[in-house]
Amino acid sequence: MQDYILEMKDITKTFPGVVALNKVSFSVRRGEIHALVGENGAGKSTLMKILNGVYQADSGEIHLNGERTVIRDTIDARKKGIGLIFQEFNLVNTLSVAENIYINRLKTRRGRVAWKEINRETQLLLDGFGFNFRATDKIEDLSAAQKQQVEIAKVLSYNAKLVVMDEPTSSLTTSEAEKLFGIIDRLRAEGITFVYISHKLDEIFRLCDTATVLRDGNIIETRETKDFTTEQIIERMVGRSVDMEYPRRNCPIGEVVLKVENITRTGVIRNISFELHRGEILGIAGLVASGRTELAEAIFGAERYDGGAIEINGKKVAIHSTNDGKRHSIGLLTEDRKETGLVLSYDLIRNITITNLDKVKRGPFLSARLEQELATRHAKELSVKTPSMKQFAMNLSGGNQQKVVFAKWLFSDVDILILDEPTRGIDVGAKYEIYLLMNQLAAAGKSIIMISSELPEVLGMSDRLIVLSGGEKVGELDRDHATAEAVMALAVKN
Amino acid sequence: MVLAIVLITIFASTVRPAFLSGRNITNILRAYSTIGIASIGMAYAIIGGGMDLSIGSTISLSAVVTMLIINATTVDTVSPWWAALLVLAVGIAIGAVIGGINGSIMAIVNGRMGESFIITFAMQIVVGAVAQAVVQGMFQAAAYKSGLFKQFGIGFVPVVFFVGVAVVMQLILMKTKFGRCLYFLGANMSAAKMAGIRIRQVRLLSHMLCGMCAGLAGVLVVSRVNSASVLQGQNYELDAMVCVAVGGTSMAGGSGSVGKTVLGVLVIGFLLTALNVLGVQSNEQLIVRGVVIIVAVILDTINKQAKLREVAR
Repeated sequence: MQDYILEMKDITKTFPGVVALNKVSFSVRRGEIHALVGENGAGKSTLMKILNGVYQADSGEIHLNGERTVIRDTIDARKKGIGLIFQEFNLVNTLSVAENIYINRLKTRRGRVAWKEINRETQLLLDGFGFNFRATDKIEDLSAAQKQQVEIAKVLSYNAKLVVMDEPTSSLTTSEAEKLFGIIDRLRAEGITFVYISHKLDEIFRLCDTATVLRDGNIIETRETKDFTTEQIIERMVGRSVDMEYPRRNCPIGEVVLKVENITRTGVIRNISFELHRGEILGIAGLVASGRTELAEAIFGAERYDGGAIEINGKKVAIHSTNDGKRHSIGLLTEDRKETGLVLSYDLIRNITITNLDKVKRGPFLSARLEQELATRHAKELSVKTPSMKQFAMNLSGGNQQKVVFAKWLFSDVDILILDEPTRGIDVGAKYEIYLLMNQLAAAGKSIIMISSELPEVLGMSDRLIVLSGGEKVGELDRDHATAEAVMALAVKN
Repeated sequence: MVLAIVLITIFASTVRPAFLSGRNITNILRAYSTIGIASIGMAYAIIGGGMDLSIGSTISLSAVVTMLIINATTVDTVSPWWAALLVLAVGIAIGAVIGGINGSIMAIVNGRMGESFIITFAMQIVVGAVAQAVVQGMFQAAAYKSGLFKQFGIGFVPVVFFVGVAVVMQLILMKTKFGRCLYFLGANMSAAKMAGIRIRQVRLLSHMLCGMCAGLAGVLVVSRVNSASVLQGQNYELDAMVCVAVGGTSMAGGSGSVGKTVLGVLVIGFLLTALNVLGVQSNEQLIVRGVVIIVAVILDTINKQAKLREVAR
C-alpha cells in the first residue's frame, strides 16, 4: 500500500471551447519530488490551479492524506497544507522579509504590532534553513534567488506539507539553482513533498524521483525518472497526433530582406543573428521566457537594443522607436491583441487606419469617407466578420480581432510582418484562416517571422526555424530537419 | 447637455426675466470665453491621457506680462494697435514654452495621468513664482483708456476669440493625423506605441497646445478686467477641469471633444450666472457646483455603458 499525500482522480476541467484537462489522475507519494512536465498549454497550470483552489474542477475528486476533500479557495488550500511558489514572485518589494511573510497575520500586543517578536521569529525561520539574509531586509535589496527563498520560507511558515514549484530556476543562475536543489533535498529529508514543474529536463533527472508527462490535457505517463530517458520524455511531451493540416504553399523564396546581426539586449537576449528572405516564413520556437518576444520587440523598435545591427534590403538601419520600425517596413502583431494590438473601445475603422493615416488624407485633413472606404476594403479582403465597420473592436471574436490586427498592419504597407503568437486564444477554424492568410501574404512577397508556443504550428508553417533558449539562439533548422523532437531537444538545452 | 442649458435658462428667466436679456447672455458668454479657451486646451491634455494643472499660473504670467507690455507702450492713454498684436504673440509664446516644458518632461518619463499631475503641479508653483517676480507682487492697473487692445475685452470680441479657438482646435483634433494619434495615446498608450505612433511627439504637442490656449486666455482676461495680478489665473485649472468633465469628456482619456467641452463651458456659465441672478449665496453655489460635477460624471458613465450595450447587440 502506497502512502499518497495527494491523489487527484479523474479531474476534468473545460473552458469555453477547450477541454483543458480530460480525466486527469495525478498522485504524489509522501516525501517524494514529483516532476510535472509538458508543453505550454498542456494543462499543468490548470491542474495546479485546481489543486490550489483557484479553479474548481468540473468533475473528479481530490484526496489529501487519503481523505477526500474539497479545496474551495487559495486560503483553504493553504490551511490544508498546500503551498505554491509561482514563477513570478508574490512579494511586496518595498516591505521587509518579515513583513512579507507575516503580512496577513501580524501579531499584536495591546493593539500594536509586535514587530520585535515577528522579526525574531522570522529570523529563526530563516536561520533554520540557512538563508543568508535578515528578516528586516527589504525585498527589493535581495537577489532573485533570495526572493525565492523568502517565498519558500513563506509557504513553510504556513506549515505546508506539499509544495508546488512552478519553473523555480527560470530566473536563477546555475550556482543559485544548485543551491536551491540543496534546499529542496534538505526539506524533503524533513518530510516535505514537492511537485516540481519545469521545462528543463536535466534538472528533473537530477532532482526528481518521479515524472508525470501531461499533453493536451491528458496524462500520458507517470514513471520513476530512473526508468525514463530524456528522449522518451520529449517524445511523450510532443508526440501528439497531428490533428490539423497546415495549408501548403508554393512560392519562391527571394533575396534577403532583413538581416539581424548579433542583436543584444543586456540580460534579455544575446548575440542573436539571422536572415529573413522575401516570401519566407521564418519560425521562432522556444519556451516561454526564452527571449522570443523580446527579440521581436527589439527588431520592431519597441525596446532598445544595446548591441548588434539590423540591415534591411542590404542597408544598415537604426531603429530606436516603433515609428522607426514602421518606416523601415516592419510591423509587429503583438502577442496581446487586447492590450497592445487594438484599442478595444474604438471602432474597426480607427483601429485599421491608425498605422497609416497619410493614406486617408485629402489635402491636410483626414477624410472620413476615404477612411471608411479603405478600411472596409481591407477588412473585406481578410473577410473580417462584423455587422458594421463602426463596431467596437471589443465586440468581435478573437479570430476576427486578430484579422483586424492583420488588416491594420497590411494597411501600413509594411513588407516584414512579425507575428507574435498569432493564433493564441482563437478557435481552430479561425486558426486555419490565419494560416491561409499567412501563405497568401508570403506569396504576395511579404516576409513573415512567426513566433509561437505551439510547436506543431511553427513546424507546420515555417520554411525555416530558429530555436531560442535563455535569450540565445541555440539552433537553426530547415523545414526538412525540423521535427518536434529536434526543436525540443534544443529548447530545453540551456 | 443642450437640454440642461435650456432648462437652466427657462427656470432662471421665469424667476428673474432679466436673465434672458440679450445683455445678460452676452455677459455670460464674454465672461466665460476666457475660461472656455483654457478649457479647450485642458481638453487636449485630458483626451491624451494627461492633465495640466499649470494653466492657472500660465494665465497669471501671461496676464502680468501682457499688462506690463501694454502699459509700457501706451502713449497718452492710447494703446497702439501693434501692442495688441505683440501681446497676443507673447502671451501665446509664454504658454507654448510652459506647455513645451510640461510636454518634454512627460515625454522623457513616458508619463501618464499620474505623472502629469505631479509634473504640471510643480510647474504651477514655479510659473506662479516667476509671475510674482515679474511684477513684484504688485497689482497692475491699466494705463490705457482706448486702443485695439481695449477692444479684446469688449462686446462680442472675446466670444469671437473663443469660437475661433474652438473651431481651429476641433479641426485639429478631428481632422488631422495628430488629433487621431492623440486619441489613441489617451485610450491606450501601449497600443499607440505598438501601432508605430510617435507617442513622445504627440504628448509634447498636446501639452504645448494646452499651454498656448492658457497663454491666450491670459491676454484676453487682462483686456476684459483692465488689470492684471499674479492671482489672475487662480483656480482656472480647476474650473477648466470642471468644464471638460461636465461636457462629458472622460477623465480616463481617449474620448471627448472640443465641442463637448464648449457645451460644458456653457452649462457651467449659465448655471453659475443663474445662481447669481437667483440670489443664491456663494456657499450654496459651491455645493451646487460640486453636485453638478458628480452628476455629470455619473451620467457620462451610464451613457457609455448604454452605448456599449447597444453596439454589442
